[in-house]
Amino acid sequence: MNKSIALSIRRFFIEDGAYLVMLAPLLIFVVLVAIYPLLFSFRISLFEYRLTDPNQTQTFVGLQNFVRAFSDQVVISSLKTTLVYVAGTVSLELLLGLGLALLLGAETQIARVIRSFLLMPMALPPLVVGLVWKALYNADFGVIPYYLKLAGFNVGRGPLAELNLAMPAVILIDVWQWTPLLMVIFLAGLKSLPTEPYEAAIVDGASRWQSFFYITLPLLKPTFLIALLLRTMQSFKVFDTIYATTGGGPGSQTTVLNFHIYTVGMTFFQMGYAAALANILLVVVAILSILYIMVLERQQL
Amino acid sequence: MKKTLLEKIILTVLTILVVLFFMIPIYWLITTSFKFGREAFAIPPKWFVFDFTLKNYYEALTQVKTTRFILNSVIITTGATLLSLVLGVPAGYAIARSRSRLLNISSYFFLLLLMVPPVAMLIPFYLIMRDVQLLGTYAAVIILDTVFDASFVVWMMRSYFSDVPREMEEAALVDGASHLGAFLKVALPLSVPGIVASALYVIIYSWNDFLFALMLTSPKTKTIPLGILASFSAVEIGWGRMAAMSVFAIIPAVIISLFLNRYFVQGLTLGATKG
Repeated sequence: MNKSIALSIRRFFIEDGAYLVMLAPLLIFVVLVAIYPLLFSFRISLFEYRLTDPNQTQTFVGLQNFVRAFSDQVVISSLKTTLVYVAGTVSLELLLGLGLALLLGAETQIARVIRSFLLMPMALPPLVVGLVWKALYNADFGVIPYYLKLAGFNVGRGPLAELNLAMPAVILIDVWQWTPLLMVIFLAGLKSLPTEPYEAAIVDGASRWQSFFYITLPLLKPTFLIALLLRTMQSFKVFDTIYATTGGGPGSQTTVLNFHIYTVGMTFFQMGYAAALANILLVVVAILSILYIMVLERQQL
Repeated sequence: MKKTLLEKIILTVLTILVVLFFMIPIYWLITTSFKFGREAFAIPPKWFVFDFTLKNYYEALTQVKTTRFILNSVIITTGATLLSLVLGVPAGYAIARSRSRLLNISSYFFLLLLMVPPVAMLIPFYLIMRDVQLLGTYAAVIILDTVFDASFVVWMMRSYFSDVPREMEEAALVDGASHLGAFLKVALPLSVPGIVASALYVIIYSWNDFLFALMLTSPKTKTIPLGILASFSAVEIGWGRMAAMSVFAIIPAVIISLFLNRYFVQGLTLGATKG
């Protein structure tokens, strides 16, 4: 008994102590430059504070900024826009990503080369991606309206400037950039599948489609869930491509919550209100992250 | 279950369409950077035959401070990458090796941090940097990038180290090495591929960052994405010059996806899917 206590004390000081020393620099760094700002952000969200105010007065208003957020029509509409954007991008990317993984999953030289080229979009600066697509979508000289017109579609002032086309147009940009990431995740998932069920299926005379629907899809469920949560969290954060293409317009068709927060804070300089909105977004993403972690944990068991 | 000829044709056509869809925007960007203005936006588009010119690159390097923007991007990316590796790799090792439940759970804390929406961090961070008078410095961007970069490195290296067998380190410990010594002399050399994988991810993340640089840099410390945007919204819309500057901005992405893709993919999958 005594010996084991002595041992665990020894372990704590020698072993965990050594590990703690390796972890400490990062912990201190993160507390100072991440946790402190987040707490600070909560504090600002309780104040009315305009950055442009010459006296920099901060008036305590309690939870008023939060109350205002939930009754603000612009916020509610930007939340709806966010949901459309997230649902649109994530569902299309999951579907197409799985398709790409199946199409290009072979271990042939050519498939490998194509896969490495497909990695490029997600490594590009999103701002550059936005500007390139903005040029491609341009009503006067863009190639997309040109070919659409040839095919008999009327694109008016270009996809980014038309009320009913702007959202699909920015969703397409996201799909272009991030579908390959889902291909990579699904490829890893497919590779980790056991081979026995397939062998049994062949013996039983199952067709390729049958083994896909009855074996592959069910076994891929954990990968699917992880990919869904990961992309949902990332999609909530979209900023650069919106900034580069539509600036939230036309009207507020593509003003996602993330972009709206930036506008409130950095264009209208209402720091308190912006911080309150940012904290609401933070809570939404935190709930998703915790779900994601729970899925990861369960998968380990 | 051999594929029929029809299936083969359909799959080939699909593959060609996929490649076209994903490559055309990049092809457009690179070719536009070598075109004269009138040809860049000719209708119908000139995909293959056009007068080749280096005018856009010449303008990008002489009329705009492109070299300055690139240098700034290199400084910020290098700073954030080194800082996040120095802080993150030992921390990831400690979490992977420690038997303390508390330390093990702390990895989720870093995963949560990684998920924080940048805008939520930006507003308070902007005010704090203003108060400590670091707005417009490299340090401000490097620090904020490192929060996200280092969280990724910890998460990634933790799963990497847990796949590295601990026998060799234990042998070193028995021989009288300290835990720190075992980490530096035994585990670290074995984990170079993992470090490369996380470094590549971090490099891409910092190099591509736009929002943090937008808020925290000054005209002197502007990074390349901001430079592109600024040159673009100036008096005339110089798409050709924009394209030339963008080609500089996409160099890391091209190198990493074409030549270092094995490491890049490892970073993406290990970082995303391993608990």
